[in-house]
Amino acid sequence: MLLRRVLQSTFRAIANRSAPRNFSYTPSRFGGEYEWQDPKSEDEIVNITYVTRDGTEKKIKGKVGDNVMYLAHRYDIEVEGACEASLACCTCHVYVDEEYFDKLPEPKEEEEDMLDLAPVLKPNSRLSCQIILTKELEGIKVTLPRITRNFYVDGHVPEPH
Amino acid sequence: MFSKRGLNLFSRLSYITGTIQQSSTAASPVTNVAQIVEAMDEAGVKEPKPLYLDVQATSPMDPRVVDAMLPYMINDFGNPHSRTHAYGWESEKAVEKAREQVAALIGADPREIIFTSGATESNNVAIKGVAHFYKASGKNHVITTQTEHKCVLDSSRHLETEGYQVTYLPVQKNGIIDLKELENTITKQTAVVSIMAVNNEIGVRQPLKEIGEICRKKGTFFHTDAAQAVGKIPIDVNDSKIDLLSISGHKIYGPKGIGALYVRRRPRVRIEAQMSGGGQERGMRSGTLPTPLIVGLGEACAIAKREREYDYEHVSKLAKRLLDGINSKLQNVIRNGDPDFTYPGCVNLSFAYIEGESLLMALKNIALSSGSACTSASLEPSYVLRAIGADEDLAHSSIRFGIGRFTTEEEIDYTVEKCVKEAQRLRDMSPLWEMVQEGIDLKTIKWTQH
Repeated sequence: MLLRRVLQSTFRAIANRSAPRNFSYTPSRFGGEYEWQDPKSEDEIVNITYVTRDGTEKKIKGKVGDNVMYLAHRYDIEVEGACEASLACCTCHVYVDEEYFDKLPEPKEEEEDMLDLAPVLKPNSRLSCQIILTKELEGIKVTLPRITRNFYVDGHVPEPH
Repeated sequence: MFSKRGLNLFSRLSYITGTIQQSSTAASPVTNVAQIVEAMDEAGVKEPKPLYLDVQATSPMDPRVVDAMLPYMINDFGNPHSRTHAYGWESEKAVEKAREQVAALIGADPREIIFTSGATESNNVAIKGVAHFYKASGKNHVITTQTEHKCVLDSSRHLETEGYQVTYLPVQKNGIIDLKELENTITKQTAVVSIMAVNNEIGVRQPLKEIGEICRKKGTFFHTDAAQAVGKIPIDVNDSKIDLLSISGHKIYGPKGIGALYVRRRPRVRIEAQMSGGGQERGMRSGTLPTPLIVGLGEACAIAKREREYDYEHVSKLAKRLLDGINSKLQNVIRNGDPDFTYPGCVNLSFAYIEGESLLMALKNIALSSGSACTSASLEPSYVLRAIGADEDLAHSSIRFGIGRFTTEEEIDYTVEKCVKEAQRLRDMSPLWEMVQEGIDLKTIKWTQH
């Protein structure tokens, strides 16, 4: 009886190996494709200002649901994002204007851990890959830090990944 | 002759001096310290190493700590940040185990432990790091006490030169802060309150739990320099609401040159790194980690966690023996600091009408101190004793006795005997003592300046 049970469970395990597996995937809206779509209506628009490293202000028409890092990539703003928003680096570090900082949801512990590694960290630092635009953030201003973790002294600018 | 820890005093002294061989055919066993010193003289040892009663300055390394460290000095020498081979992985594993051991001792999460070069660096990183980081938020005020270790006072003074406001809280006669005064001093601009757990000169314990409650309620961070407390008294960072805590390796029978800083993750404490580089230690303290030293610190913490209660009992018993011995044979001996709310292993006594330095020199067979090792070259009276309101003459006559894990009853008895003998000799030479014996109140005398 015991032997029969053991054999049954063994065969079941072998049979299950060929069973279809569930693969997880990242929805495309978090891969940067969503940000390339223009707003469908005025109601969707969220205006955002990026202050680049040289102090230039770039005003961008974003939309609800845009990821601030991927939106920067669309408009060639120097936000690297080496880990592609997987919370494994701090190269998309930005300073959020005080007025909007408290409107953002609390950072996850993983984001806090990555921020620890960011040079020239400030109390209003966030990872731009974790900021999703909402109507409440209309007019938000984010400033790029002078350097990120992957800084170069020869003028090389890391490309978005 | 063996203490509970099985460390034979004679063998230890033989090992230290490297000159006396313990003979298996010795006619009579050596039974006390006086005989050991005599035996050394006979063996032609000119300057025997003194007995060690200065564990607040540094402690001897526990042999078990040395054993744990050795492999990482010889075979497992990898850089713990090397990710591509077994040498690095082994070292990293050892470092992370040590991080867990340090965290376990204070009730923290291992991710909250940052390795540093010692408590001085930990204190600097904590105080300057927090102050610098939160200055942008309008927090430009720091609170500490007048009896802190020099590195805390110096860090605070450094911040003053950068435009920060610093409040140096006075302490009461017993060396403990006034909690009401602390509460009234904290403002919305206060970035950090830094108050030590156990004082390195007088052994007084501050009420950490109450301080933590006040700081949390007022929304300011609480840092404690726990170099003299960790592993000696129970400390739980969550129970006491401590946000930053400094640890030193060589104060807990571990190696010199290694320490740790506890930095709370929830609610998050941010600090501006004082050392730039490869971003090790959560970006707070760059630099390659010294694996052998870290392993030593971890092992020292693990031993302390296991044996803290036994150590405390051992030290308490010896402290009582020391105090009873001296007080029963000498009058006018004052214990500095609160006698109850104190760590018993730090006994600071003022021998009235005697110059402390003279007594120290007379007790050259015993390694003692007249204050902090950082300032013992100064002839100024201890700032800690001044802060508790000790008269200047008493401040000048103080001696610190440091009792530790490896101190024996024989050493205490020898210390009492020598101390009483030399104190009496010095008093017999003292005109002040003579005047007191004649009933003259020294406070009424008008001394002329030279």
